[in-house]
Amino acid sequence: MNFLLSALIKDLARWREDAAAILLWMAIPLMIGGLITSLMDGGDGAKPSGVLLIADLDDSLLSGLVAGAYSQGELGELISVESVTVTEGTEKINAGDASGLLIIPEGFGDAFLESKPVTLTLKTNPSQIILPGIITDVTEILLDAGFYAEQLFRDEIEVIKAAVDDDNIDNAVVASIAVAMQQKIEAAAPYLFPPAIDIEVVEPPADEPGVPLALLYLPGIILMAIMFAANGLASDYWTEREQGTLRRLVSSPGRLAGFLGGKSLAAGVVIALIGGLTLIIGFLYHGVAWAKLPSSLAWVTASGVALFDWFGAIQMIAPTQHSANLVTSMLLFPLLMVGGSFFPLAALPGWIAAFGRKTPNGFITDR
Amino acid sequence: MLIVEDLVKQFGDFTAVECISFEAKKGSVFGLLGPNGAGKSTTINCISGLLRPTSGQVSVAGFDVQKQARSAKSSLGVVPQELALYEDLPAIDNLRFWGKAYGLGGGKLESRVSAVLDTIGLADRAKELPKKFSGGMKRRLNFGCGIVHSPPVMLLDEPTVGVDPQSRERLFEMVRAERDKGTCILYTTHYMEEAERLCDSLAIIDHGKLIAQGSVAELSAQLGARDVLQLSGAFPSDETKRAIGSLVDSSGLDLELIAQEEDSITLTLSSASQHLPAIFQALSGAGGKISETSLRSPNLETLFLLLTGKELRE
Ligand SMILES: Nc1ncnc2c1ncn2[C@@H]1O[C@H](COP(=O)(O)OP(=O)(O)OP(=O)(O)O)[C@@H](O)[C@H]1O
Ligand SMILES: [Mg+2]
Repeated sequence: MNFLLSALIKDLARWREDAAAILLWMAIPLMIGGLITSLMDGGDGAKPSGVLLIADLDDSLLSGLVAGAYSQGELGELISVESVTVTEGTEKINAGDASGLLIIPEGFGDAFLESKPVTLTLKTNPSQIILPGIITDVTEILLDAGFYAEQLFRDEIEVIKAAVDDDNIDNAVVASIAVAMQQKIEAAAPYLFPPAIDIEVVEPPADEPGVPLALLYLPGIILMAIMFAANGLASDYWTEREQGTLRRLVSSPGRLAGFLGGKSLAAGVVIALIGGLTLIIGFLYHGVAWAKLPSSLAWVTASGVALFDWFGAIQMIAPTQHSANLVTSMLLFPLLMVGGSFFPLAALPGWIAAFGRKTPNGFITDR
Repeated sequence: MLIVEDLVKQFGDFTAVECISFEAKKGSVFGLLGPNGAGKSTTINCISGLLRPTSGQVSVAGFDVQKQARSAKSSLGVVPQELALYEDLPAIDNLRFWGKAYGLGGGKLESRVSAVLDTIGLADRAKELPKKFSGGMKRRLNFGCGIVHSPPVMLLDEPTVGVDPQSRERLFEMVRAERDKGTCILYTTHYMEEAERLCDSLAIIDHGKLIAQGSVAELSAQLGARDVLQLSGAFPSDETKRAIGSLVDSSGLDLELIAQEEDSITLTLSSASQHLPAIFQALSGAGGKISETSLRSPNLETLFLLLTGKELRE
């Protein structure tokens, strides 16, 4: 009990050092909420659209693939891609004429094939909120997926590199590589490709009863803040592992249960703070009855802690921090979508809504 | 205080520690000496409960580390080779947290924490975050976190790596002060000089095996008063062996060939400097060429060389 308390105090003290991140977890959903609300209240229901500038200094097959990824599917409807030079792009983004500028450096393709570190530069437009966020997420997921693709296809990549070096690309070689890759992709598809992330903006259904539509988004927005927070805080398990403090704990008589319990409680405190603040802002804005606040806060905190423990367990099992983060994002984004953070459950197809109600997020949004 | 019996630790097919036994006494520093990869940290991790031994027994202050794990762990203070600190928690709170993990609390905890801060020389920076500390300061805090609960048995795994000479002296003083208070200290290092200065008794391990054990004086006696002579150049192997053999027969020198390669040989004998001309003559008579000579008087480093035929640190 005593140790649990000291573990709680320790984590709160440590996380206070990182208050900026905590504010960010809260700020992003609030801003999205504000935007959705103003879109809804404006009532025109138009899809936002943005311009992504791409300066491709590499001009290789791979850099082309990366650039192309932004113009596919639903993402392509939201974002139009424009190819620019770095100077043009910088001017445009500084003038606020685009949502983001992605710079693919020279040698990106080669560095990627050789597993060397490589940095894509993404400048986002600070005055826009939603679209730069989407672009950042897509970029991160692309890079993560690329990392795994590179691991999976190492042998094939070696063969391709050898062939390119020899300047003698034999059709038979190409065909056999293609077949080998195809087989691997099929085998790995369930793990590699997360459920496609749809970014949808729903038209307001005409016959919504009494409640203003924007209010339906409120629980989802709050839960989004909580999910970001739970996910961010859970990476602390990895920090404990890397810092060696988990090892030190194991060689001490301090009980693991107290240690983990303290951490969950600390997460509960942070989540209650974030949840409380976002709830108050939402309640004020929408004029919801204050009597509902305590029960809402209790729900929000409880599900936040449950998520934290869930993400934490993943962090503890994962072999590397990289894979832990990939797995948690793969869980987080579909949960956000299906659970109704971005659109009311009522607006979803029946079977997704049924599943969505079972997610912690949906459980709350569907009150 | 600390008894290790027939300790074996395997990682898959690889045996990192092979049947090691030793006993470290109350109020003494026991050195575990060996080159990189000898199995020092593995031994320490088996004692501290981080690793489960494949076989063998370890007892700490009378408690079996497997059967009475919590009591054994309470009696242990561990200073791991790798830093284990909260970089984002003030130094003083690191000490408080680990003190609490060992069951300390209230006034006792606070007085121990301030005593340890004084000992590790961080009293004036107690409220700062370790991530802003230098490497040596982090090492000292790492040391402090392991001793805050005044354990009767301490495990120090290469605590001086990356520490400047001044801080190292300070650390030695801390270790000696703890020993004088009656603490039993297991100290691993690959510096012979540290072991000679600090340890009351020693075990030398290599490739997971214990190859010599005793007090510094006992180990030196094992070496005799013999010097170690290392020659490099070119030495035809059979001829060299024969030449050394006949030199021993004719002169009655206590000369011994302990390691031999194409380009270097290592010899041991008493008062080597007086016999250098005879040895050089015999070697060149056997077609050898000497380009470099090094003569060392007996110490633990040469003992290791004698026992294993190789240098402690390459
Ligand atoms: N978890 C592990 N899995 C497999 N092998 C390991 C593991 N830990 C250690 N080893 C091996 O056991 C041997 C002994 O390692 P150990 O860390 O005990 O050496 P050491 O004496 O502490 O060396 P150093 O002076 O470098 O710290 C090494 O060969 C190492 O590779
Ligand atoms: Mg070691």
